Amino acid sequence: MPILIVAVGVAMSVFLHAYITGLMNDSIEMNAKLSFGHVKVVTKSFAENISQMPTDLALLETTALKEKLSKEFPEVAWVERIQFGGLIDAPDENGETKSQGPAIGIGIDLLSAPTGRGGETERMGMAKSLVRGRLPENKGEILLSELFSQKLGVNPGDKITLIGSTMNGAMSYYNFFLAGTLSFGVQVMDKGTIVADIEDVRLALDMEDAATEITGFFGSGYFSADLAADVKEKFVSNFPNPENDEYSPVMLSLKDQGSMGQFVDLSNTMGAIITFVFMLAMSLVLWNAGLLGGIRRYGEFGIRLAMGEEKKHVYRTLVYESVMIGIAGSVVGTAFGLFFAWLLQTYGLNLGDSMKGSSMMMPTIIRARITPVDFYIGFLPGIVSTVIGAMLAGVGIYKRKTSQLFKELEA
Amino acid sequence: MKIAFKLAFRNLIGAGLRTWLNVIVLSFSFVVIIWMKGILVGWDHQAKNDMEQWEIGKGQFWHNQYDPYDGFTITDSHAPIPSEFKPEIEKGEMVPMLFAQGTIYPQGRMQPAMIKGIPASQTLLKIPTHKLDSVTDAIPAIIGEVMARSSHLEKGSRIVLRWRDSKGTFDATEIEIVDIFSTTVPTIDVAQVWINLETMQEKLLLPEQATLFSFANPEENRSEVGDFRLKTKKDLTAEIDAMIETKNKGQSVFYIILLLLAMLAIFDTQILSIFRRQKEIGTYVALGYTRQQVVTLFTVEGAMHAVLAAALAAVYGVPFFIWQARVGFTVPMDTSEFGMAIAPTMYPIYSMGLILSTTIIVLLTTSVVSYWPARRIAKMNPTEALRGKIQ
Amino acid sequence: MKTIIAFILTIITLTGFSTPDANEILRKVDKNLSSDNRVMESSITIQGKRGARTITSKTYAMGDKKSFTEYLSPAREQGTKMLKLENQLWIYSPSTDRIIQISGHLLRQSVMGSDLSYEDMMDDRKLTDIYDAKVLSEEELDGRKTYLIELTAKVTDVAYHSQKMWVDAERFVPLKQEMYAKSGQLLKRLEMKDVIQVKGRWFPTTMIYKDMLKDGDGTEFKISKIEFNVEIPEYIFSKAALKK
Repeated sequence: MPILIVAVGVAMSVFLHAYITGLMNDSIEMNAKLSFGHVKVVTKSFAENISQMPTDLALLETTALKEKLSKEFPEVAWVERIQFGGLIDAPDENGETKSQGPAIGIGIDLLSAPTGRGGETERMGMAKSLVRGRLPENKGEILLSELFSQKLGVNPGDKITLIGSTMNGAMSYYNFFLAGTLSFGVQVMDKGTIVADIEDVRLALDMEDAATEITGFFGSGYFSADLAADVKEKFVSNFPNPENDEYSPVMLSLKDQGSMGQFVDLSNTMGAIITFVFMLAMSLVLWNAGLLGGIRRYGEFGIRLAMGEEKKHVYRTLVYESVMIGIAGSVVGTAFGLFFAWLLQTYGLNLGDSMKGSSMMMPTIIRARITPVDFYIGFLPGIVSTVIGAMLAGVGIYKRKTSQLFKELEA
Repeated sequence: MKIAFKLAFRNLIGAGLRTWLNVIVLSFSFVVIIWMKGILVGWDHQAKNDMEQWEIGKGQFWHNQYDPYDGFTITDSHAPIPSEFKPEIEKGEMVPMLFAQGTIYPQGRMQPAMIKGIPASQTLLKIPTHKLDSVTDAIPAIIGEVMARSSHLEKGSRIVLRWRDSKGTFDATEIEIVDIFSTTVPTIDVAQVWINLETMQEKLLLPEQATLFSFANPEENRSEVGDFRLKTKKDLTAEIDAMIETKNKGQSVFYIILLLLAMLAIFDTQILSIFRRQKEIGTYVALGYTRQQVVTLFTVEGAMHAVLAAALAAVYGVPFFIWQARVGFTVPMDTSEFGMAIAPTMYPIYSMGLILSTTIIVLLTTSVVSYWPARRIAKMNPTEALRGKIQ
Repeated sequence: MKTIIAFILTIITLTGFSTPDANEILRKVDKNLSSDNRVMESSITIQGKRGARTITSKTYAMGDKKSFTEYLSPAREQGTKMLKLENQLWIYSPSTDRIIQISGHLLRQSVMGSDLSYEDMMDDRKLTDIYDAKVLSEEELDGRKTYLIELTAKVTDVAYHSQKMWVDAERFVPLKQEMYAKSGQLLKRLEMKDVIQVKGRWFPTTMIYKDMLKDGDGTEFKISKIEFNVEIPEYIFSKAALKK
C-alpha cells in the first residue's frame, strides 16, 4: 500500500512534468517547425529584411553550405527552405485566367526526404492538417490552404499556375497540380498559403542551388536555448565574415526571431512555476503518506519493543524501510509516469474536436514531452518526502510508551 | 447532523499534522485552479478588450469588397460614407477609416505598407491619432512598435511614402513619424502607416469615402448599410475564443492531476482513519448510531478537509489573487506573429462563478473520495469493531 | 559667363521670342516617338543587387494600341510572349503553356525585375493628349541644345502628375525625362542616348530608367534594330498567336 501511494504520486509528477513541458513548448515548436527553426542560416541582408521574405537576398550554393553545416553540426538536422511571395492563377477551361490571388509560399523538401520520421512532411504535421486530397507525391504537386482553394475555386487534381518573381526579380510562371488542401488553424495562413516541394520552387523561381534559408532542427526535436547558443557561437567562429559581406551566411536562433525570445523565456518560467507548485503539493502528500504509513505500524512497533528491540533500532528500521519504499515507489511511479507520458507524447490528446475544421496544423492536439528531467524528477519528492513522513511518524515511537504502542495493535 | 460536523471538526484538528498536510495540498488546488482560470478569463477579456479599444470598437462595418487578407481588394474597397452614419461620426461614436496600399522606402529598399487614414480627432480608439495634428512640413504619420522595429524607423524619422490616388496617379511625399505606439493588437501595427483621414481622402481623391468604420453602439441592429456590412465584435474576436478554448482544455488536465493528487492524500488518510478508529466506530454503533450515520460522520470528516482547505486558501490565496490582479502575470504567449491580440501581461479576473464552481467541484470530489472508504464501515460487524478487531 | 547665358536664355524663354510653343515641341516629340507600325529588337539590362542580367526581345507594334513582344533570351525567358491590346495585357509562358492575364495589381509589378512597371509600358496615349506643356528654359545637355519643358497632366488617370523633359531642340527627341509625383517628389528618371535617324525620324536607342526612390543602378533599355512602317500581319495581335 505505501509503495502504491508513492508510486501513484511519483507517476503523477513525472507525467505532469512531461505534460507541462509539452504544453508549454507546443506553440514554440509550432513556430519553429513552420518557420523559425531552432536555428536558421540566412544571408546577412536577408536577416535584416526578414519580414519582407526577399528571395533576391537568398543564400547561394546551399548544397555545399548545407553539407558543411551538417559536418560541423551533426547534432542538428539541416533542411533547405524557401519562403516566398507570389500569386496563384487558376485557369478556366481555355487555359485563361479564371481567378487569381496572392499567396505566401513555403518550399520544403516534400519528396526526397523519407516521409517517415525526420522528414519535413512529418515535421510540419502535414498529414493531420490535410483537408482534401493528399500530400504531394510527385514533382509539380502543390498544397493550398483550404480557404484559399475555395476562394480560387480549385479542387485537388486541378492545374494552377504560380506567378512569382525569380531571385533576379524576373517574373516567373510555373504550373502545379493541386494535390491537396491544408488547414493551419490560423487565419493569416489559411487565407493564402501554398506549400510545394523545394525543387519545384527552385525551378519556378530560378533559384537553382539556392534557398532563402537553411533551417536547423535539434536532434531532440525540441528547442534548447543553451544548445542554440553553443551552435551559434561555433557558427560564428567557423563561418567568419570579416568583410561584413551582405550575402554571407549568418545564424539566427529561434530566440532571435519575432518575439520568440521572450516567449521561450516565459514558457520556461511558467513551466518551472507550475512544476514547482505541483512538486510542493506532491511532497506534502507523500510526506503525509509516509506519516500515515508509520502510524499504521505503531502496533507492530509495540510488539517489537516488547520483544526487547531498542527504540533506536525500531526507528532506524522504519526509516530504512521508508527509504526502500521511497525508492521502490519512485522507480515504479517513474516507470508508470513515463509510460503514460510516452502515450501522450506519441498519440497526443486531441482537444480540437469541438472546434470547426478539427484537423489543423495549430496545436489543438496536446502532447506530453519526455525530457531527461522526467527520469529523476519523481525521486526527490518520492524518497525525501516519504522518509520525512516516516521519520515524523517514528518520533511517536519515542514519545509513547511501549505499552501504549502495543495497545495500538489492538486498536 | 450538527453534531456530526462538530465531531468531524474536532477529529480533524486532533489529527494535527496529517490533516494540515492534506489541507495545504487541497488549498493549493483551490488557489492554483482559480488563479489559472482567472488568468485565462483575464487574457480572454484583455485580448478582446484591447481589440475593442484599439481597433474594432463594439463592432465594425466593412466595405463589401474589403478582405484584410487579400491586399488586392484594398484598391476597390471604398465607398462614400453613408449619410446614416454621419450623425454618429459627428458625435464621435463612429470612426471612419480609409485604407490604401502604399510603399515606403526605408534605406532605399522598397517595402509595401498599408496606409490607413483615421480622423485625428477620434477618441474612440486608443491609437494616438491626436499626434497626427502635429505641425510639420511632411505628412505626420504614426506607426506601431513592431512596424518601427521591422522597418528600422524611430520617432522623428522621415521616409518617402509612395501611393497612387484612386485614378492611378503616383504620389509620393515625405512622412514624418510623429509617434510610435505600443499595442498588443498586431493587425493595426504590422506593415502599417497611419495618417490623418482628411489628408488621405484628399490625396486619394476620395473625399468623404471610407473603407470601414468602427463604432461604439452595439445595440443598433443594422446588418448592412449601403456598401458596408456589419462585423460584430463576436465575429471579429472569434479567433481569440477558439484559442482560449484550446488553452482552457490544455490546462484542465493539469487541474485534474492536481485534484487527483489531493484526493489521493485524502483517500489515504480516510483509509487510515477508518482502520485505526474501529473501536470508535464500534462505540458509535453501540451508542445507537445507525451505520449510515457513522458513514456520514466519516464522510463529513473527510469532506471537512475541503472546507478547511477553502478557509486556508482564502487566508493566503486572497492576498495573492489581489496582488496578481494588480500587478498581473506575464503569460508566456505571444502569437502576435500570427495576428492575434495577445497582451504580454495578463491581469487575472476572478468571477464569483469561477470561485463558487471551483469550491463546489473540490467539495464534491473530496466528499466522494471520503465516502468511498467510509462505505466499508457499513459492512463492519459492530461488536467486532467495538473490540477493535481488524476486519 | 554661364549664368549670364542662362539668364539671357530665360529672358528669351519668358518673352517667348524664337522659342517654339511647348505644345508644338511635344507634338513633334510625339511624331518622332509614337508610330504607325514598327518592329524592333531590343535588350533590357537590369541591375540587380547581385549583378546584372540582360533580356532580349523582339517587339511588333501596330499604332499605339497593339503590341506583341516575344522574349528571345536568356533561355529562361525564351518563348515568353506578351500581348497588349488597348489596356489589356496577357502573358504567355511556354513552360506553363498558360495565357495569364495581367490585370489590376499585377500591372503595377515591375517588368522582369526592372524599374519599369507593366503599367509604365501600357500607357499608350500621346503625350499631347495627357499633358499640357510649358517651356521652362533652354539648356545644354551632353553638348546638345535642349528645351526644358514641363508637362502637367490635364487628365486625372495618369501615372505621373508632372514631368520635366529635356527635348533636343533640333531633333525633337527627349534626352532626359523626370517623372514627378503630385507632391512634386521626383519618382523616376529616364535618360535617352544614342539617337539615330530611321526613315526620317529621330529615335533614341538607349534609355536608362531609374526609380529614384530606390537604391540601385536602374534599368538599361537598348534598341539594337528598329524598322518603321513594315507590314505586320494582323493575326500577330491575337491571343491565338501567343501560343504559337
